[in-house]
Amino acid sequence: MANIEINAPGTSQLFIGNEAIARGALEAGIGFAAAYPGTPSSEILGSLAQVAKKMGIYAEWSINEMVAMEAAAGASFAGIRALAAMKQNGINVVSDFLANLVMSGTGKGGLVLVSCDDPSAISSSNEQDTRPIAKWLDIPLVEPGDFQEAKDMTKWLFDLAEELGTLCILRSVTRIAHARGNVKLGELPTKQHKAHFDQIHDLKNVMPTTFMPLPSSLRHFFLHMKLDKAREKFESSPFNRYVGPDKADLLIITGGSCWLYSQDAIEALKLRDRVGILKLGTLWPLPERFVTEHLNKSDKVLFVEEIDPFLERSVMELAGNFPPNALRPTFYGKRSGHINAYGELNPDMVIKAVSTILGLTYQARDVAYSKKSEALVKSTVPERSMTFCAGCPHRATFWAIKNALKLDGRDGFVTGDIGCYSLALGPAGFFQVRTMHCMGGGAGVANGLGKLGQFGFDQPVIAVVGDSTFYHATIPALINGIYNQSKFILVILDNSATAMTGFQPHPGTGMTAMGEPTKAVSMEALCHALGAHVEVCDPFDLKGTTATLLKMMAEDSGAKVAIMRRQCELIRAKKEKSPYNVRVDVEKCIGEDCGCDRLCTRIFLCPGLVWDKKAGKSRIDEVICSGCGVCVDVCPQGAIIREAA
Amino acid sequence: MTTKGCKELVSEVIETRLCALCGACTGNCPYLTYYKGRITLLDNCSRTDEAQCYEYCPRTYTDMNAISQKIFGTPYGENEIGTVKDVFMARATDNRIKKKAQYGGAVTALLSLALTEGVIDGAVLTKTSDDKSPAPFLAQSVDDVLKCAGSSYMACPVLGRYNQIPKDDSSKLGIVAMPCQVLSVAKMKTVPPANRVSIGNVDMVIGLFCTWALSPDTFYQFLKENLDLSKVKKFDIPPPPANRFDVYTASGKTSFPLEQIRKHTMLACSHCLDMTSEFADISVGSVEGTEGWNTVIVRTDAGADLMQRAKRKGKLQIDKLPESNLEHLKEAALLKKKRALNEIVKRSGDKKNLLYLSLSSQLTKKLLA
Repeated sequence: MANIEINAPGTSQLFIGNEAIARGALEAGIGFAAAYPGTPSSEILGSLAQVAKKMGIYAEWSINEMVAMEAAAGASFAGIRALAAMKQNGINVVSDFLANLVMSGTGKGGLVLVSCDDPSAISSSNEQDTRPIAKWLDIPLVEPGDFQEAKDMTKWLFDLAEELGTLCILRSVTRIAHARGNVKLGELPTKQHKAHFDQIHDLKNVMPTTFMPLPSSLRHFFLHMKLDKAREKFESSPFNRYVGPDKADLLIITGGSCWLYSQDAIEALKLRDRVGILKLGTLWPLPERFVTEHLNKSDKVLFVEEIDPFLERSVMELAGNFPPNALRPTFYGKRSGHINAYGELNPDMVIKAVSTILGLTYQARDVAYSKKSEALVKSTVPERSMTFCAGCPHRATFWAIKNALKLDGRDGFVTGDIGCYSLALGPAGFFQVRTMHCMGGGAGVANGLGKLGQFGFDQPVIAVVGDSTFYHATIPALINGIYNQSKFILVILDNSATAMTGFQPHPGTGMTAMGEPTKAVSMEALCHALGAHVEVCDPFDLKGTTATLLKMMAEDSGAKVAIMRRQCELIRAKKEKSPYNVRVDVEKCIGEDCGCDRLCTRIFLCPGLVWDKKAGKSRIDEVICSGCGVCVDVCPQGAIIREAA
Repeated sequence: MTTKGCKELVSEVIETRLCALCGACTGNCPYLTYYKGRITLLDNCSRTDEAQCYEYCPRTYTDMNAISQKIFGTPYGENEIGTVKDVFMARATDNRIKKKAQYGGAVTALLSLALTEGVIDGAVLTKTSDDKSPAPFLAQSVDDVLKCAGSSYMACPVLGRYNQIPKDDSSKLGIVAMPCQVLSVAKMKTVPPANRVSIGNVDMVIGLFCTWALSPDTFYQFLKENLDLSKVKKFDIPPPPANRFDVYTASGKTSFPLEQIRKHTMLACSHCLDMTSEFADISVGSVEGTEGWNTVIVRTDAGADLMQRAKRKGKLQIDKLPESNLEHLKEAALLKKKRALNEIVKRSGDKKNLLYLSLSSQLTKKLLA
């Protein structure tokens, strides 16, 4: 990670977008930051936590996004500038609090929520767009178009949030959050933080009040006043600008990373003299006068934006209010089909849209070259599907789950959740996971299924959650299952980290975000206290784990807990050497013959095992094999040998 | 070689409940597994060209003539109780065996002798587990064999244990098996399997008489619901006309009417023509009307040799089986054949389609008459 705390104003540093946002928060003088990890947002809190002690601020990984936001609001109420960061899914977790927070208003410390969206859902379960939420919350939302803006906007947004006394959202996307660019640094504040909760505070020059959303109608009215004030400021914001001819053949309206794609497209098409770009940074409330002025630039308008047609609809709404005889441009975008209605965009897509609208033909490079380069790249990349790492305890767990469900024979299944183990939807986890929605959702769904006995339902239900997900959102579902006697097994895949997002600590790990040792919250003590039947298994013991699951499935009682305890292989490998040297005895390996049909490389699919087609034998890829030795117990012929390393 | 694999085994045998739980498809296959009275396919195997699970199943294509030719050197005949060298009635002389034996203790006596004499180094048997469910067991001593005496009347995948023996093991083996299992072993002897322990090692097959077996799934559940299984010492079906299933416990005997028990017979058994384990070296059953004795059919040279040893060493008291008993046995065996063949034809809907069996048209006609 970069040194986001470097005190060298005026110099340029190479930051990923998330570090730029964290730096902006430091320059804004935040004292408090809280987050729950989620790609692509995780590095914001991660980089702040690293420098927190040095910078005299506080940073925490919260149990979930809701608590992160509430904790940050608490700091704001006591006069500390505070930031909460999350991925788009987190917005849903926190939305109930948000809907009330916007009514109560924030405290003397500016409060900013950073939400990182994931167009194309590269690392997500959905590609939800944060922008419309600002609209229904009636709060300002801005979006940086590059790395410099990511820092500058964050700093500026704290000022705005504090001035308005309302929560403000900074929306970012994967290609800003995780791409890297130069950022010119500003000053770091030297002011000491002093926190105090004023019993009665001044609701932004309106009335003395407490922090609550009541009386709601009146609060709603005040909220709209704040929004009007924000709109007025946005009319002259430097984050909104137009580049292009005075009279253009086409006007592109865009924002965020799509601004970069649009610039690339216009450059490639050499259309700088014909196409103008209106780049918006303050997306809600829309700076209506500023946008209206620029709508005159062309009779054709193309909206370039990812996921929802947010700008498209907002501008069309605006145009709908034009006087009856006013000129209205033709609008192109998601509605017209010129821009994809879902997924990430790229310069090629923008080139295609612009070319279609203006009737141009454009060929970036000849087709033969494209094909040749594609083939070349493919030839050097090993063929591998999306899978668990070699030595991952999840593969062993799902092997045991698969076999236990099959042996039980009642067509049992797994309700899944969010984490590395979501991969069990596919071959990595032997297609075991049959439902997957949100954090904690799998256990919730299992609660319902587990109560269907009276309707003839006899299928065993296993809800899998990761350890971090367990703390995050699963505990209420487990309590419900115990209280209402729902029949399911909650399998907690305890690999002792929030592994998927980068091994962040969680309440069970005994470590804080700032690297301090702390009290670990024991999941089995918690489950025991709830009255659950708890079993702790080592998933590498395939036989024992399968037997335990079979036994639990055969029991009649309500919600039960099976903890699969094995540290994430990537963490273990950083600390110690491989436990085993693993090799294949080629004499014993019968490959594709009857009695095996290459179980290890066809079904088990650990990337540490490779199929040597020529020899007709399996072999260990020593570079990838982690030496966990689990495959030894999978091989039906005893052909895989493990020796203590 | 067949061109079918585990998918067809599942659809043609397991799902149709023709599976007799012999265990031939399990043990050295990572895909087909026996668990609590059922064969389960854990993952799909892509083998179809030489899938041995399908090949050796006693409920897939079975060429009776080819098998008989291999085991006895003659085509499959019309004798109700198969190829016979000799028939006796016999009982063990050893008191230790007598005390534990279901009937005359002939099987235990023969096996113990075979082990002591080095005819075999081990034997695959059925042992009643601590939870009173039957489980395959590899006996390697006389004590081991004694632990396996007695029957639970439930099907047990004995051949799965045979398949688990390492393929480089050269020990001589005995197998005590039901007719379905004996048929599977005979199939293996006819076309030896690859990638498992040599079928040539199996030097002694002792087949049991069987009219039907009970399901280790539903019958075990039935027992569990009606008894404290931990106290059970012995199961017994006394010969007709008793018509009951007896369970002996420390505190006495509990009896169930046979009608109640029959609900739990395996459907597969009603499609089986073999009552006397026709492809065994020696077949052993009870003697109707005479308690404490076994009927023993000697079929092969290896079988005759072992019987000779038993006689010589005084391990078995041997007597002539009364003619009326032999006739009765033949009647019963024929009845099983007729019932089963009718059942098969009823299922296939075609007198020429005998599902898994290949019989001469003459014999088919005779049995269906």
